[in-house]
Amino acid sequence: MSDKKSLFKNIRVIIFTLILLGSIVAIHPGYTPGEGTTSNLNFGLDLEGGSWLQIKLEGALAQIDADSGKLVSGIVEPLIGAPIEITKNDLDVGGSADKSITFTTSASVSASQLESLGTVSVDKLSGNTTQVTISSTSKEALIQAYLSKALDTEVVIISPETGIVYEIRTAVTEEQLETLIENVGGSIVKNEDGTSTYKEGVSSDTRDLTREILNDKLNSLGLKDIPVRTVGEDYILIDFAGIDLAKAKEIAEKPGKFEIRIQTTGNETEHVLYGDSIVSVGIPSFHDEQWHTPFTLNEDGARTLQKVALETGAIDNPEDHYLMMYLDEVEIYGAPLSYSAASKLREGPIYSWEASTGTDETAKTEAEALQIHLRAGALPVNVVLVGSGHVDAGLGEQFKTEALIAGLISLVAVAAVVYFRYKRPEILVPMVGTSFSEVIMILGVASLIGWQLDLASIAGIIASIGTGIDHLVIITDEVLYEGKLPPTKVFQSRIGKAFAIILGAASTNIIAMSPLVVMGFGSLKGFAIITIIGVFIGVVVARPVYGVIIKELLHVGESENGGITE
Amino acid sequence: MATGLTELLDNFVKNHNDRQLLAIPLAVLAVSLVVLLVSFVSSGSPVILGMEFQGGTQISVETTDSSAVLEEMYSSYPLNDVRQAGSRVIMQFGIMDDEQQGQLEKDVMSRYSNVQIQQVGPIYGKDLQAQAIKALIISFIGMAIVVFLLFRTFVPSFAVILSAFSDIVIAAAFMRVVGVELSLGTLAALLMLIGYSVDSDILLTNRILKRRGPVEEKVSRAMHTGITMTTTTLAALVVMYIISTFSYLLIPSFSQITLLSQISIVLIAGLFADILNTWLLNTGILRWYVMKPEFRGRYNR
Repeated sequence: MSDKKSLFKNIRVIIFTLILLGSIVAIHPGYTPGEGTTSNLNFGLDLEGGSWLQIKLEGALAQIDADSGKLVSGIVEPLIGAPIEITKNDLDVGGSADKSITFTTSASVSASQLESLGTVSVDKLSGNTTQVTISSTSKEALIQAYLSKALDTEVVIISPETGIVYEIRTAVTEEQLETLIENVGGSIVKNEDGTSTYKEGVSSDTRDLTREILNDKLNSLGLKDIPVRTVGEDYILIDFAGIDLAKAKEIAEKPGKFEIRIQTTGNETEHVLYGDSIVSVGIPSFHDEQWHTPFTLNEDGARTLQKVALETGAIDNPEDHYLMMYLDEVEIYGAPLSYSAASKLREGPIYSWEASTGTDETAKTEAEALQIHLRAGALPVNVVLVGSGHVDAGLGEQFKTEALIAGLISLVAVAAVVYFRYKRPEILVPMVGTSFSEVIMILGVASLIGWQLDLASIAGIIASIGTGIDHLVIITDEVLYEGKLPPTKVFQSRIGKAFAIILGAASTNIIAMSPLVVMGFGSLKGFAIITIIGVFIGVVVARPVYGVIIKELLHVGESENGGITE
Repeated sequence: MATGLTELLDNFVKNHNDRQLLAIPLAVLAVSLVVLLVSFVSSGSPVILGMEFQGGTQISVETTDSSAVLEEMYSSYPLNDVRQAGSRVIMQFGIMDDEQQGQLEKDVMSRYSNVQIQQVGPIYGKDLQAQAIKALIISFIGMAIVVFLLFRTFVPSFAVILSAFSDIVIAAAFMRVVGVELSLGTLAALLMLIGYSVDSDILLTNRILKRRGPVEEKVSRAMHTGITMTTTTLAALVVMYIISTFSYLLIPSFSQITLLSQISIVLIAGLFADILNTWLLNTGILRWYVMKPEFRGRYNR
């Protein structure tokens, strides 16, 4: 009986046993009368019931070059309504010193009109010629201002190592962008290999920001634990466990793109800030005979609002320059600056604001709606729904049961084939036992990392068990190459040979699955990850132990039967 | 079953020369390639693209209504196909705008129980198509590199890679002929096939190149192991296919699990192709290679 002892002293067996026990603890299976079986396993939406939405972030990234003189013309001429003539331009000179551009025009120019471009000084020259110098500016800032104006959207400069990239936060095709830049004597920069630097989508920072905002949003609506994940480069996936598709869409549609604009002249409005400048939103209150919704702006937002109010003249004449709030391009609120706010803005930015809605009950409802909208409006980019899904809870339950039954009967079928082939229970039992432990270990890892098991993951478990059994057959046949168990020395080298084959096969398997993990194909990612985990556990933990156990069992069997005849 | 098949195959391999062995799998591969090519020329895609890759909506509901009733009821929507599967009816819709989509979903959910909805927008579908092709190619190249690193000789590595390629092509042609769509599930199956396929090929090549003994004996021993491997996997897959596809016939409360059903049928086809490719194609090439006069029987003793 020294065999048994040595078996439990074997380090591989000890590790295997510990991991197996650990997995069972992690899964934590239990049975509560009346409630049925319980466990720590998380199931995906297709097994649990619920719905999911996949959204795409609209935007474009491109490296852009343009003629700085034409850029200034392109920005300034529509603003002042007259042609300009560039007289001095050192924007294209290298070095980062203070750069400036000077132009003359026949129209009158006020410095505040051009303030967004840099430091502006306006000089009245002889006759009706005005000379304007814009200093502390750069070509990048001009391109940003030009695109932002032309596309009526936010444009962000990001500077990765490869060069300055402009992130345009709205859907724009390469052709549209090209035409716009051609107008200012520029083009979309080409990569070294001749391909365009234009790319649909947004930067990963913007994508992650959008995801974070959505996450906060959904949680603030009282929907705890709704996972918002990024998938691939431009997609965001939201899982709504236990919520049906119609409800999910309703919830998701609430967070929209919130924007404050200011009336410039007539019906024209100008962008002031987006919802991301709003730090906090208070509870509507009734004071000074009006309903108010308080909200707070961050530093940037407060300063921008002050600057725009000065530029547009809203401070002098609030009644002609309403502040308008938009949610997804729809106007939801509009009011002039109060006189007190206007005079305060002259001194400095205001951080705490209140939007007043009126005196009656409707005003109260309006104030409450505004509160939600102010909170909901935080997405920096437009999003479109590109995919969705829904599984009723009852159907998910059916799928779960069926998948379990399919798995168990599959295992029985495999066992039958193995028994038919070897006709020896001392091979059958460890083989099926190893496979079964592999399943438990995969489930253990899954519950430990909080993985959601969906149908695709179950397919992954089946895939790794399939190769697992294949590998156990290789070990068995290698060990029994001449039909009986060889002496220990030969046995070791045989096991070595078997593992040479298994490791080769396993590594091709893992390599074949890895593109799916990296590319993030929605549900297929789960399939690939579970397969890789399974193959890994199998090769590192379970199959070495099978080698040890089968040797012991066959050895015992042989000394009892006095040899094998086959 | 396994033993019978092994003996049959073993005798076939022993009694035919290398050229004869190659003829059958290469003919099947050629026919499969023609199927895919004809499909590509006539429809623009070698396989039938499922909803996930084309964009559209698939709704499946539990109902006692016949498919004709549902077809009539939802005729105002772009309904492409209605299929009955046991106690369920599966409807395929074309691309709709958000409003129409929402209306349809609300209507279906208020009327039926155990609803399953999947919707993919055309942009995302296009994206998935491109990604699917990329994934298949990268997986395949990755596998090829590992195989080359394992054997470090051209002909044996090439034989393994050719067999894997043939497995996938034959499985894809099978999908086209039988009418199984390319979905995320069947794409996963094709990728899984890369893994399953090389298992037995690596076993065979390893045994023949790195083991002593007569080639004939090494082939037949490898075949014993290899066929056992494939049959165990096939057994599991057949069970999975039957349960995920037909269990509702026995237990009316059960439903088809399309994902598992599709994965298993494609893998079953692929594994049958794998038996052919490993034990005729790969064996044929490898046997010709190791018996080449310049090796002077190095691999045959």
